[in-house]
Amino acid sequence: MKEITCIVCPRGCRMQAAEENGVITVVGNSCKRGYDFAVSELTDPKRTVCSTVRTAFPDVPVLPVRVSGEIPKARIFDVMRQIGAVCVKVRLGRGDTVIENVLDLGVDVIATSDILIENGKAGGNI
Amino acid sequence: MRMDMSKCNRKLNKQFGGRVRASFENDCIVLRGELERWPDVISACRTAARKYSRIHVVNDIVCPEAQDAPMRRPSFTDHTLEGAAPDVLVIGGGISGASIARELTKWKLNVLLVEKESDLALQASGRNDGEVHPGIDLGKGSLKHKYIRTANRMFDTVCKDLNVEFHRVGQYVLFGDVWLKPLIRLYCLWRKYHDGIEDTVLISGAQLKRKEPLLDPEAKFAILNPSAGVVCPYGLTIAYAENAVQNGAKVSLGTAVLGMEVENGTIRAVHTNRGTLYPKVVINAAGVFAEEIAKMADDRFYSIHPRRGTNSILDKKAGVYMHSIASVIDLRAQLRAHTKGGGTMRTAHGNLLAGPDAVETWQKENTETHPESIRVVFDKQKKTLPRLSERDIITYFTGVRAPTFEEDFIIERGRRTKNLIHCAGIQSPGLTTAPAVAIDVAQTAADMLSEKMTVEKNPAFDPVRKGIPALREMDEAQRAELIKENPDYGVIVCRCEEVSKGEILDALRSPICVPTVDGVKKRVRPGMGRCQGGFCSPLVTQIIADYLGVPLSEVRKSGEGSVITFGKTKTPEGGGEA
Amino acid sequence: MTNDRYDVIVIGGGPAGLAAAVSAHDNDARVLLIEREARLGGILKQCIHDGFGLLRFGEKLSGPEYAERYIDMFRARDIPALTLTFVTKIVKTEQGFEVHAVNRQGISVHYAHALVLATGCRERTAKQVFIHGTRPSGVFTAGTAQHFVNLLGEMPAKKCVILGSGDIGLIMARRLTLEGARVLGVYEAKPTPSGLTRNLQQCLYDYDIPLHLSHTVTRVFGVDRLEGVEISEVDENMKPIPGTQTRLDCDALILSVGLIPENELAESLGVEIDPKTKGPYCDGQCMTGVPGVFSCGNALHVNDLVDYVSENAAAAGKAAALYTPAPQKYVPLHADGSFLYIVPQRLDLNRDNTKVAVYFRSGGDFNKTRLSVTADGREVFAKKYAFLRPPEMEKLELDFGAFGLTEESDIRFALQLQAEKEREA
Repeated sequence: MKEITCIVCPRGCRMQAAEENGVITVVGNSCKRGYDFAVSELTDPKRTVCSTVRTAFPDVPVLPVRVSGEIPKARIFDVMRQIGAVCVKVRLGRGDTVIENVLDLGVDVIATSDILIENGKAGGNI
Repeated sequence: MRMDMSKCNRKLNKQFGGRVRASFENDCIVLRGELERWPDVISACRTAARKYSRIHVVNDIVCPEAQDAPMRRPSFTDHTLEGAAPDVLVIGGGISGASIARELTKWKLNVLLVEKESDLALQASGRNDGEVHPGIDLGKGSLKHKYIRTANRMFDTVCKDLNVEFHRVGQYVLFGDVWLKPLIRLYCLWRKYHDGIEDTVLISGAQLKRKEPLLDPEAKFAILNPSAGVVCPYGLTIAYAENAVQNGAKVSLGTAVLGMEVENGTIRAVHTNRGTLYPKVVINAAGVFAEEIAKMADDRFYSIHPRRGTNSILDKKAGVYMHSIASVIDLRAQLRAHTKGGGTMRTAHGNLLAGPDAVETWQKENTETHPESIRVVFDKQKKTLPRLSERDIITYFTGVRAPTFEEDFIIERGRRTKNLIHCAGIQSPGLTTAPAVAIDVAQTAADMLSEKMTVEKNPAFDPVRKGIPALREMDEAQRAELIKENPDYGVIVCRCEEVSKGEILDALRSPICVPTVDGVKKRVRPGMGRCQGGFCSPLVTQIIADYLGVPLSEVRKSGEGSVITFGKTKTPEGGGEA
Repeated sequence: MTNDRYDVIVIGGGPAGLAAAVSAHDNDARVLLIEREARLGGILKQCIHDGFGLLRFGEKLSGPEYAERYIDMFRARDIPALTLTFVTKIVKTEQGFEVHAVNRQGISVHYAHALVLATGCRERTAKQVFIHGTRPSGVFTAGTAQHFVNLLGEMPAKKCVILGSGDIGLIMARRLTLEGARVLGVYEAKPTPSGLTRNLQQCLYDYDIPLHLSHTVTRVFGVDRLEGVEISEVDENMKPIPGTQTRLDCDALILSVGLIPENELAESLGVEIDPKTKGPYCDGQCMTGVPGVFSCGNALHVNDLVDYVSENAAAAGKAAALYTPAPQKYVPLHADGSFLYIVPQRLDLNRDNTKVAVYFRSGGDFNKTRLSVTADGREVFAKKYAFLRPPEMEKLELDFGAFGLTEESDIRFALQLQAEKEREA
């Protein structure tokens, strides 16, 4: 049996999940999403990653990014290395792809802010 | 001169069983021996010392417990000052050194002030309560008394000239026992007619309540000293130094005196980490290190015993509780202690301040704070101002005072070394006395120099320093006018203290540029407020980096190693790993 | 100086201010928003982690995404906004309020019928939790560290200790770890964690960062840069236990020891502050004790979810838009000692109280609890909770209009532990 704290929503349900003969039982969840999360924690834990990437624009040294979908928990630092190696040279906007299909995981690294576009229009701030 | 030490030694024998002996050498009382504990050393030296005496105790007692760390000094060396031959070298960038340097520029002299720290007023001058004392506790015969009244009266002009915040708010000393009133009246009369502290009055509890309604409701009467005031202590020091620079003096920060060459009672050369200097006259205003400087100059005739004190600064919201300086007196404690015992006041900037305490220490540069200090001060000062609460604290800091065992200033020419002037043993009320002391010391230096050269008045001397405008203090029309000239004055960077980007840039462009977060903070106050720089410190850091044209990771908080960040999160080689 | 008149002036352009402005505009008010920073979005600009918007948008967004959705809504309405503009003072006049502001253009004065204060909160500092020792660089509040990392791309730490298990502290523990710093541990003076449970999981346990409860930092070392901290165990009153000190070498101390609503402007107007929330006492319409002054978001009380901030701010914006002066007829909402606080603290019976959002935090960790609302001894509402924890704010929507309240009504909120009830039975 495994104690799992659900991270799907702010409720943070505390669940117990167990696997026996390929059958997973979950107690303590309040919804289906919690159940799914518990199952995934037992079989293939997944997480999202949020970070920043360097830019070529001095007024916006870094641009916030995230993965467009969940990735295997074990690959977080691999993805971070990819994110660390990027430098954005065009004024991307929110939702634009920064790294396509990162490490063949089937998700993109996307920008999460329009700051580059806005600053491009406004020209600098304090 | 001779002095009989037998009585003193009998007392020491009784106290310390022969482990310490006093002997009279070179007109000083030298104590030798070994004591395990520092409080015993203090006690032995006090036994030998006479308050306000010009014959000083020199402490050579070995104390295994009291092994202070070596003096902190800049790690770098260069040759920027190599071969410089100033007419006057001032050692120490506290209030004494800075005010002396400024007074010296009234003559046509080549003046150099050296300070080992990265900014002025980084030790005792920047770490005190900023009270301008009235002198009510000082009797004739001391140098403290000699200067206090003259100096106190100078503050209006000096602070106006130097553009420093000063308010003559008055000081109340509260008494809870009505039977003390005749005694205190006699005390005040004595002070008035004997010691010239003429403006002191006694007021009733009811009068006190009208003036300061939130102070101790139990107070039956109070001494009111209308001449007491509050000033920004580091602001005054910086202003003095800037005015000195404006009038031709040179200030070299990050410059530590490491040794001297003395020949036939004359300092020939002064070694620093930035080269060897050949000054005609040296002024020792080195605070807690005055004794070390005296020793280098072969003129050690006194000892400094560091005494630390901690002050707490409270939110400006609590600043409305009172508008003056106040303390409740416990007469018995007062007689034992060697300090004014602290108090509660509204600072020149409108915060409430409580403190300081007084703790003997052998550590000259240890400015750590301790919970005990806050407790002691608040326990005591809650009697003065019952509303005082630790919850309103926004910061606290410790300063180390530099008293002698005679508890008086040493302001005189070197006793053995001819081209040296001591301005040592400066403790409270040294901030108050500085303007008057500086005039005397500068005059002494000029007299010394005129024995060898012609010393002329500096006709170009300008006593007025144009400070950095504080826009928060201005009316809207004035403020709008300034913003029109410089739109950066309209960009508020520090929300708590309402400091604009323009003011921060002014601080960086000021005569003595200290491009650190603390340097800017001391000059124009970003980060001094209730969030303590939580919001503005990244912005201030960025402004400094942009101004200097360096990466953010090179901007420091204060001293050499005090970087704020370690560089970019992203390196071209890729991200990090846990 | 420029002069202009508005129905509603919103002060603060973070999530609360944006939602309030949008809502006031949608309720036909002429709105002006004033923001002191160069960009709208408030603190969300630097909260690059995800988890925002689950309630509001049904999506897991990052802070900038959430903020920019509101900025888009705000801009689509062409609501005037002054950015990089700082309010220096507000004067109450017979007609309403005179808001004085400063920016690069100079001083301006703006007039409003009603005000919405969406001024957010600030972080408690090291000295406010009585950390002693030296004053080196390297002591940051979590938000300051977050600004350096996420907005400036700078590392404030290589090897750090985090004091306080508040959410920002947990988020920063993960963030710094991802960027290659070593987080030695999170220390919490309380016997229970302060942050959301899911943040403990996904920020600490996922990265093997230890959490030490009932421990605090009592002292810092290092003259220039921080060189280490002293950790002490604390007793049940959160006082350090002498003799339990240990030294931990590190180059940064990051503090997540609480947030304080910023109400300096509110206080300058005479708004009375609730010592429990540190925000204004307000009624069911988010109106403070000063008629025409509304408060919302983290200035009203510290929220843990921005979704609630937006919702509460929208209510405040609407109420401000609809505001007409009328005498107040207050009835207090009493919460018993099992609550940390409830908001609002009272109702104004001269206003519409049919749909009032009530936010509360429990005073302790409670399992199986029943919340009961009584009016004059009669239970008018009840709800069961499997567990309540102080870090997790709860929200109710109540129709007080249906309870037949008068000025003399005695409204009480109580939490009953089911276990106790069973024992009593």
